[in-house]
Amino acid sequence: MSALIKIENLNKSYGKQPVLKDINLTVQPGQILGLVGPNGAGKTTCLQALLGLLQYSGNIQVMQHDPSQKRHLMLNDVAYIADVAVLPMWLKVNQAIDYMADVHPNFNRDQALTFLAKTNIGLDKRVKALSKGMVTQLHLALILAVDAKVLVLDEPTLGLDIFTRRQFYNHLLEDFYDESKCIIVTTHQIEEIENILTDVAFIQNGEIVLHESVDHIRNRFKILAVANQEMEQAKSLKPLFSNSMMGITTMLFDNADEQSLEALGNLTSPSLADVFVGVMSREELA
Amino acid sequence: MTTQWSNDTPIYLQLYQQVIERILDGVINEGEALPSVRTVAAEYRLNPLTISKAYQMLQEEGIVEKQRGKGLFIRPGTRDEVLQRERQNFLQQEWPAIVRRIERLALTPDKLLNGEQERSV
Repeated sequence: MSALIKIENLNKSYGKQPVLKDINLTVQPGQILGLVGPNGAGKTTCLQALLGLLQYSGNIQVMQHDPSQKRHLMLNDVAYIADVAVLPMWLKVNQAIDYMADVHPNFNRDQALTFLAKTNIGLDKRVKALSKGMVTQLHLALILAVDAKVLVLDEPTLGLDIFTRRQFYNHLLEDFYDESKCIIVTTHQIEEIENILTDVAFIQNGEIVLHESVDHIRNRFKILAVANQEMEQAKSLKPLFSNSMMGITTMLFDNADEQSLEALGNLTSPSLADVFVGVMSREELA
Repeated sequence: MTTQWSNDTPIYLQLYQQVIERILDGVINEGEALPSVRTVAAEYRLNPLTISKAYQMLQEEGIVEKQRGKGLFIRPGTRDEVLQRERQNFLQQEWPAIVRRIERLALTPDKLLNGEQERSV
């Protein structure tokens, strides 16, 4: 099985300011990768390089095409939803469909129409008249219909209400995803997608600080709740992060011996958000 | 609908347990189909692999069976077997812990069954 996306030693600077440092990422068919990091970490720049939208140094292959050289070939199988509305305001829904049918060799008009029929988006409406949630759905309709193999989502649910956010992921899993495709998604709302992801990459200051499968992360990181008398011993096992409250200290451990931890208190698995906060605060201390 | 998943147990095991409980409660009956992996993934917003894993476990234990091209169905006769097994699990794993807790709180089975504890507290 060959990788759908392969990024090797990707570097990017704006002037003298490096924004991406030696990024290496591989995405296989079936994977849903969450690219997670604080504002300004380089998430969007990384995605833009991947899509051939900016100059970079390093090697990127998307469906075996180099996005800086063969962008037009790559785009047959790649779709992108950005965090900013990119559909022109004056465009009507049926014009968007006509346009896609004209320019995209794989576009399936019926599929787009079938999907739109499930929504309350009228075909004669202009983009201007659609809510933010509807624009996202229209985007999704266009993407489903090109049968993309690689889907890149940059904060796709930013600014949407909770109902529309859920509906978005619902449609994504029901109508788009299958084992031959891959999705890269960036988001701040990690809780919302943590059970959807197969893999996660944490990015900070332009560097990947953790890249693992979600299953692996759940085994690797543990949360220990310890009482004060066991504190010193627990600290000697080098927690990444600790937080005290009402006589109990909660500590996050990376790759610590499970048996030694279990002897000291109550051991549980962290959420991805817990791991994220822990890993990020460790890097800040260093 | 949102289901709250606990962080302590892998979700596929929680999903597996949910199916078992629904069979015991008669919510899903023998001979009925399980929803497709895709449907459950979309509804619960879970990775499809998580659902496949739970379904595979149910299949390996003979609780559901595959009908070619149609999906997974609850095997007839499975409810009694599941009931026997879950009773065993309860008696071996949960009951001893409950007994210890009853003793720690200085209660007796008689008091509990007669509702005595409310008056004595």
